[in-house]
Amino acid sequence: MSVIAGDDVHAIAEEVFAAMVDGEPGTVVPWDGPAPTWAQPLVAWVDLHGAWSGRACLATELPTAHALARALLTLPADEEVGEADLVDAFGEMANVVGGNIKSLLPVAGTLGLPQVAPEAPAAPGSRVVTEVALAWHGRPLVLTVLTVPGAP
Amino acid sequence: MRALVIDDSRTMRSIVSRTLQPLGFETVEAEHGRAALDVLEGGPLPDLACIDWNMPVMDGLTFVTEVRANPAWRSMTLMMVTTESEHGQIVRALAAGAHEYLIKPFTADAIRDKLDLLGLLPVGEPA
Repeated sequence: MSVIAGDDVHAIAEEVFAAMVDGEPGTVVPWDGPAPTWAQPLVAWVDLHGAWSGRACLATELPTAHALARALLTLPADEEVGEADLVDAFGEMANVVGGNIKSLLPVAGTLGLPQVAPEAPAAPGSRVVTEVALAWHGRPLVLTVLTVPGAP
Repeated sequence: MRALVIDDSRTMRSIVSRTLQPLGFETVEAEHGRAALDVLEGGPLPDLACIDWNMPVMDGLTFVTEVRANPAWRSMTLMMVTTESEHGQIVRALAAGAHEYLIKPFTADAIRDKLDLLGLLPVGEPA
């Protein structure tokens, strides 16, 4: 039995977006459509270390990551987001989501620092525990939790 | 009042600062514990420090320990603001000398409630 259910991940995402991004609940709903694919992907992830080791990933399209960063930094809709701010803001979303996923685990562990790239590096032996496709203001996002056996 | 916001994420520093400023706080920011100690050494002493846990260079728990080891900084209130939500971690932070603990994600109301508990809400500010 998985210790991390899709409903839990969805609930965490709802709470994170309501508190940090939108200031109100209900802006993140299940994605209703075919599995999202990305022309310009951006992935933010944090690694979880300990008796349960794995990774929490947040993936979306680059323009959605820009929109998220603008919302987090309270920038106007037409303002360009610099690369450093984009990486910082999107990474912090993964950090907060990952930290809350860690709290669901039955064993204590530590959280790595967030990373951001067009794709997460391969994690040999990894297995998807939960994958949830969500829509934030109609824009698709995918949250994936992986176990990575034997990770340091 | 003056608050020191310590977080390696500029985004999170911005969120915390813009939550504190309407409550009457002047904020200064540091990107890790070592930079925050530099701020304290430069003075004046803030009334409040909001401290992330996981940061490069010096983490939040080490910062709390360093602050508590210096009697000159004893009057500053320390509040952890972190994703670390396990009971054991909260106990460790409080044992090291943190006064309060706020788990990310947080709302503006949650920060206001914590400041009210700590007696740091300006007079006239509704709790």
